[in-house]
Amino acid sequence: MTGLRTRGFPERAVRERARLGAAAAFPADAHYGHTLFGAEATADADQLDQLRITPPVFMPQRLEKLIELGREPLHTDVALGTVIGGLRSALPLYLSAFGSTRAAGTDQVLAASRQAGRLGIPMVIGENIVPMSGYGRGGEQTRRTALGRIAAYLTELPDGLGGVAVQQSTEDADAEVWNLVYSDPAAQPLLESGRLAFELKVGQGAKPGLGGMTVLDRTAAARVDEQFALDEVFGPDADRVLRCSSPGTFTEEILRQQIRLMRNNYPRVKVWVKLHPGRDVALAADIAWTAGADAVTVDGAEGGTGWAPVATLAHSGLPLGECLARIGPRADCLLTSGRFWEGSRVVKSLALGATAAGLGRAALLATDEDPEAGLTRLVECLALELRLLISSLGKYTPAALGPEDVWPTPAPSAAAPAHRIPEVLHHG
Amino acid sequence: MTTTADAPTTRGLLLPPADPRQHLTSPTTRTVLRLQQHMLAAAREYLTGAGFAEMMPPIIGPVTDPGGRGSKQVDVDFYGHKYKLMTSAILYKQASLLAFPKIFCIAPNVRLEPLETANTSRHLAEFHQIDVEMAGASRDQITAVLEELVRHIVSRVVTDLPAEFAELGRDTSVFTALLNQAFGRRTHAEAVSELIGLGHPQNPDAEIDWEGEALLSSRSAQPFFVTDYPKGSRGFYDRESAQDPGVLRNFDLLAPEGYGELCSGSEREYDYARIVTRMRETGENPAKYGWYLKLVREGIPASAGFGIGVERFTRYLAGLDGAWQANAFPKLPGVVSP
Repeated sequence: MTGLRTRGFPERAVRERARLGAAAAFPADAHYGHTLFGAEATADADQLDQLRITPPVFMPQRLEKLIELGREPLHTDVALGTVIGGLRSALPLYLSAFGSTRAAGTDQVLAASRQAGRLGIPMVIGENIVPMSGYGRGGEQTRRTALGRIAAYLTELPDGLGGVAVQQSTEDADAEVWNLVYSDPAAQPLLESGRLAFELKVGQGAKPGLGGMTVLDRTAAARVDEQFALDEVFGPDADRVLRCSSPGTFTEEILRQQIRLMRNNYPRVKVWVKLHPGRDVALAADIAWTAGADAVTVDGAEGGTGWAPVATLAHSGLPLGECLARIGPRADCLLTSGRFWEGSRVVKSLALGATAAGLGRAALLATDEDPEAGLTRLVECLALELRLLISSLGKYTPAALGPEDVWPTPAPSAAAPAHRIPEVLHHG
Repeated sequence: MTTTADAPTTRGLLLPPADPRQHLTSPTTRTVLRLQQHMLAAAREYLTGAGFAEMMPPIIGPVTDPGGRGSKQVDVDFYGHKYKLMTSAILYKQASLLAFPKIFCIAPNVRLEPLETANTSRHLAEFHQIDVEMAGASRDQITAVLEELVRHIVSRVVTDLPAEFAELGRDTSVFTALLNQAFGRRTHAEAVSELIGLGHPQNPDAEIDWEGEALLSSRSAQPFFVTDYPKGSRGFYDRESAQDPGVLRNFDLLAPEGYGELCSGSEREYDYARIVTRMRETGENPAKYGWYLKLVREGIPASAGFGIGVERFTRYLAGLDGAWQANAFPKLPGVVSP
């Protein structure tokens, strides 16, 4: 353990799952037979957390499954395999980007990468990793480079599963992160097996409308002062400075054309687009999908590993649940991130149209708790909850979930693009 | 995979010999380089005669052509500042028009192309271009220059070097149409329709892919232009049509017989606000183009221009299997070589 701490995040519960695995999905077994259990209020509950999952009494899809199996179906019959932005995943989960901040320590990041590979779920490598930490070629020794992470991920990755999504933000364009990866011999196994994606970073949940920020000591800052703006917010005599990235300017046409250019330049990779929880998130997602994006990630205003102003963390950006309501159910691949660590929040987000959920802070905490198997255990627990909850709804795949599975059923938001208001609900 | 040149072939294709002596002393190489030398002399003859000033091309700069199709730039340490080897001199060509209204240069370019291009027969990591830029020119005017230039070069080498063509086993009657008829012309949209009609899947928003180019090329008896590429397929400097937004005022020249693209060109963007916007549409960070944007903001001429790939053009004229055969020190993508 490194003393990594979180605020506004159920750290203790995550660490417990990293130790106990699936057993942590239930109350401690010492209480079994002695204690009566009921609903408990959840601290820091947002709009998504406040929804309830609503199993019906009558379950035609359970009948279909019963006929298929020739026996009554159980939660173990839920098939969690999911195609995430063109990548086949063992679960409707992926490892979110960690960014270049120091909170994401080298060993934790590598341990998380290795375990994500073991689990067969996709992994996102964050923006600024290459300009800040290097790529890992040409004599760079640091293990936290993009190449170091890809190597760790590939060590236990099963054939045919998973994949790596490499982010590039506006300022990463200077480091040509995508060109570097696309032409690199080390990335060829991913490229040739169709398991490489590039994610265009338009925004992030913790600081909607702002670029990346990290706190650097002056020596590190001096190395990057040509690439990034440095702000002496801690005073002229302080050892540390704030490093700010530009968020990049986007209009509808800029987003559309950037996606087309990605498809033009990298025809063999999947194209992902990451949006902040902006008020026009539904329009932006629609433009991205229409331009050919294989996935759109909506990062809820929930926090992250980077440095963010208190004002934006507390007051800026739509809640993730509202983003999902505005986008509405559609056939395209929508990824969500923001405070995911257990099954019910994932099920609710899938019911509202998401295809998969990203684990960010939870993954870091779990690997901090146990570098070898913390994330694996956390995910085993989460997977058990997914199976239990999805089967409780009389459904047996994540894609079968729909808005009818939560209450209150979200109304189509007036902010969604008029031509895209729920045309097709998930079959369910 | 990085390959050493010891292996004679990669993916069934001929590779350059590992020993540069073997390549440089081969009768084929010597004949091809004589042909190429004559082509360059003919290009200079035509362009100088047409009033174009020859400029020495820059080799490094703080910024270069962002290029496309996944090729990586080469970084150079310039006294502690990150510079780039030229992937193309396009930004400098536009700037050069502040000195002369019509310029050309024969410029080296370095692009770390994706490894998969090692077997296209057309890609080299280091190659040369006959780069031409003309102030105030429209697309029709610049394609006329290109057509005349190509015809002049081909006419010169066919007339002056019959023995070299004979040594290479290249029948020069294949150039009859090129020398006597106007080049064909079709739009990108028409090319896409043709490819889809032929059963070749082609993204209508993107470049014609390499297989598609070779397919179109193999169905033609003479060079032809493909015009009006969609915006998401090219760099920020190709001018967007005012009448037809999303369509670029650009062109490629494709050789016949399956040899594929020889040349790309366009009318250029020259308005500051349009260039900044187009930079964003192509995912670029305008901050790194400081010197260029300052020039543009203060005013550069409207222009059009093109760049002919010297090795590709030589390959087509000489009827070679691969573009590397038209380079004395060939570097295929990913192949470690002298």
